[in-house]
Amino acid sequence: MRSITKIAYYEVLHILKDPILFVVVFLAPIAYVTLFGAVYFSGLLSNIPMAIVDLDHSELSREIENAYANSPYFNIVEDVDTYEELQTAMQMGEIRSGVVIPEDLQKNTSLHRHTEVLTVYDGSNLIWGYNIQKKNIEVIKQFNSENTVAYLAGKGLSSVEISSIVNAVDFNITVWYNPNINYTYFLFMGLVMMILHQLGLLSVSLTVSREKERHSWSQYLSSVLSVQQIIMGKCLPYFIINFFNYTLLLWISAQFIHVKIEGGVLLIIILGLLYDIIITFTGFFISLKAYNSLQITRCLLLLSIPLFFLSGYTWPWAYMYEPISSLGKIMPYSWMAKGFRMVTLKNLGIAEVGVIILVMVLMALAAIIINVTFNKTQKPVQETPLSVNAGNSYPRKRHV
Amino acid sequence: MRKYFLIMKRECLYIWRDRTLRNIIIFGPILGILLFAYVYRMQVIQDIPTAIVDLDHSSQSCELREDLEAAQNLKVTDYPADYSDMETMIENGDIVVGIVIPEGYGKNITLKRQTRILAVIDGSNITFATPASSAIMEVTQTISAETGIKILVGMGMTLDEAQNAYQSIEFRQEAWYNPTLNYAYFLILALALNIWQQCCTLTAAVNVIGEIGMSSWLQIKASGISKLALFGSKSIVHLTIFMLLVLPVYFLAFVVFKLPLHCNFGLLLLFTFVFSIAIHSIGTMMSSLTNNAVDSSRLGMMVALPSFVLCGYTWPLEAMPAVIQKAAWILPQTWFFQGYNFMVFKGAEFNMLSYYFVAMLIIALVCYGISIIAVSWLER
Repeated sequence: MRSITKIAYYEVLHILKDPILFVVVFLAPIAYVTLFGAVYFSGLLSNIPMAIVDLDHSELSREIENAYANSPYFNIVEDVDTYEELQTAMQMGEIRSGVVIPEDLQKNTSLHRHTEVLTVYDGSNLIWGYNIQKKNIEVIKQFNSENTVAYLAGKGLSSVEISSIVNAVDFNITVWYNPNINYTYFLFMGLVMMILHQLGLLSVSLTVSREKERHSWSQYLSSVLSVQQIIMGKCLPYFIINFFNYTLLLWISAQFIHVKIEGGVLLIIILGLLYDIIITFTGFFISLKAYNSLQITRCLLLLSIPLFFLSGYTWPWAYMYEPISSLGKIMPYSWMAKGFRMVTLKNLGIAEVGVIILVMVLMALAAIIINVTFNKTQKPVQETPLSVNAGNSYPRKRHV
Repeated sequence: MRKYFLIMKRECLYIWRDRTLRNIIIFGPILGILLFAYVYRMQVIQDIPTAIVDLDHSSQSCELREDLEAAQNLKVTDYPADYSDMETMIENGDIVVGIVIPEGYGKNITLKRQTRILAVIDGSNITFATPASSAIMEVTQTISAETGIKILVGMGMTLDEAQNAYQSIEFRQEAWYNPTLNYAYFLILALALNIWQQCCTLTAAVNVIGEIGMSSWLQIKASGISKLALFGSKSIVHLTIFMLLVLPVYFLAFVVFKLPLHCNFGLLLLFTFVFSIAIHSIGTMMSSLTNNAVDSSRLGMMVALPSFVLCGYTWPLEAMPAVIQKAAWILPQTWFFQGYNFMVFKGAEFNMLSYYFVAMLIIALVCYGISIIAVSWLER
C-alpha cells in the first residue's frame, strides 16, 4: 500500500508541475462545461425571425398575421413585402421562416374557392427546420380552430354545441421526460460525458509514455514493485481526479446550467465509478502500448466527434448501418451516455438500467484484465525508427 | 528557387516519415466521411416507432387506429394491452410515441360526447421528439376535423358547409434548401470537414516547434536560410497537402454520395483554401507558443474540438448568449461553416461571402503575426 501511495504521490507531482497537464486535468473540464453550458443555456428556440408577405391586405390576412405575431415563438421582421424580398432575406439568413398570403385570399375564401397560404422555412439547418415546422403547425392548428369556432357561431350554433363539435375528439399530447423539448436537457449531459471521457483518457494515457520519454520507465520495470502496484499507483490519482471531475461537473450542470438531473443518487454514483474505472484503466493500457505522447494526443482527440455520433445518443442505432452501430455498441461512452440519460432524465431504476450497468461492469473488468497482462520483462514498445521533426521532445530554449 | 524547392521536398519527406501523422491525415478525413455516411444512411426521420393501446375495441376505435397507421412518419409497431405496457415500452426506448384510445370512445363519438385521447411522446431524444410531435399534431388535426365534419353532417348541415368549417384556408408548408429535412445532407460533409480541419490543425501544430526545437535548427541558422523562406516553404507544402486531402472528401460527398451542391465548386474550393490558411495559422501559432509538439497539438485540438459546437452550424448562433455569439466569430471555423452552409444549400456567390473571405484572412494574418513575434522574441 505504501508503494502504491508513493507512486501516486509522484504522479500527482507530475500533474502539478506540467502546466498543460494541469490545465487538461483540472481546468479544461470546467472551462468546457462552462462554455457548452453557455452555448446551450437557452435550450429552446424562440424569437424565430419570420417575414410575412401580405399580398391581400384584407381582414383575414391580418388575422393570419396576428396569429403569428401573438405566438411566443416567432418574431415578425418588417420591411419584407414581396416574395423576392422574402427569398433574399431567407438566403441571407436574416429570416428563417416566412408566410406568403396570396392576393384575393379573403375573396376566394368567402366564395369557397380553393386557396392556400404558403408557409416556408429554412431547412438548411435542421434544428431550425424541425422546430419551425412544429411551431408552424401549432400556430396553424390554433388559427384553424378559432376559424372553425367563428364559422359555426356564424351558423347560429350555441357555444356549448360548438365546444362539443370542436372538441369531439380531444387529443391530449404529452411529451414525457422533456416537456418543453429543451435542447439543454437533450444534448448537454452527452457533451459532459464526452468531456470526461476524452480529457480523462488524455490525462491518464500520458502516464507511462511520459516515463518512457524521460527514460525513467526502466526504473519501474527493474524495481521490486509488482505489476499491480505500478498500475494501481499510476492509476489511483487519475481515478480520484476523474471521479472528482464527474461530481463537480454534475454539480455545475445542475446548479448553474439547470440541467435536469433526477434519478437515484446511488445509480448515478455507480455509473460514474464504472465509467471512471473504464476510462482510467483503458488510458493506462493505451499509454503502455503507444509509441509516444504525441501519438496518443493526436489520435485520442481526433476520435471525439466519431465517438459522439456513433454512440446513438443523437441519431439512433436502429437508423445506422448495422456494422457501424455494432462499432458504437463496443464503446463505453455509448453505454454511459445512454445509462446516464435513462437515470437522470427518465428517472428509471435498476430494473431498467441493469443491463447497461452489467455491460459497463464487463467493460470495466476487461479494462482491468488487459492491464494485468502487462509483463515487466516484456520488451517495451519501441519508438518509431525515425521520428524526424514530429518527435515528442523539443528542448527549445536550450537551442534558441 | 532551388533552395525553396529543397525545403519543400524535405518537409514532404518529414511528414511522410511521421507515420502517425501520415496515417491520420491520409485516412482520417476519408474514413470520417465514410463513417458518417453509414451513420446517416437512413437520411430522414421516418417510421417513428409508435404503439397504440386500444382500450375500446369498437368499430370507431378501429377506424381511428387505421387513421393513425396511415399517418406520415409514424410506424405503428406494437399494440400493447394496457397503459403500463406502453409506459414500459417508452421507458425502454422501444417506442417513441404511445397513443391510448380510452374505453367508451366509440360510444362517446356516437352520442356526440367529448372524448379524450392520450398521445405520449418520448422527449428524451429530440431528434425523434420534434418530428414525432409535428406528425402527431398533423394527424390529430385531421382526425378532429373528420369527426367534426361527421357530427355537423349528422346535425343536418350539408357536406360542403361542414367541410368549409374546417378547411376554410389551407396552409402549405415548404422547407427550402433541404425539402425533405435530410440529416445526411445536413451533417455528413460538415462532420467530415470537421475531422479534416482537425487533421490540418495537427499537421500545422509541428510547423515551428518541429524546427526550432531540434538540434538541426542551429544548422539551418548557420546555413543562412531565412526564417521566412523556411517557414514559407513549409507552409506552402502544408497548404498543398490540406487541399489534396479535402479533394477526395469532396469527391465522395458530391459524386459518390450525391450530397447537394448549389454553388460553384471552384468557389467552394477557394473558400476551403482560405479556411485552410486560417487553420494553418492557428496551428502555426500554437507551435510557436509552446515548448514541444505534444503541448502544441494539445492546445491546437483544445481549440479545434469545441469549435464545431461553437460555430453555430448545428445549434444556431442566434440562440446563444450575445457574448458567446461574438466570441464565436473569432474562430475561423465559424466563418467557414456558416459560409459553407450558405454556399452548399443556398448557392451563395462571392459577393455575398466576400467578407467571410476577408475575415478568415484577417484571422490568419493575426495568428501568423503572433507566430513571427513569438519566434523573434525567442531568438533575441
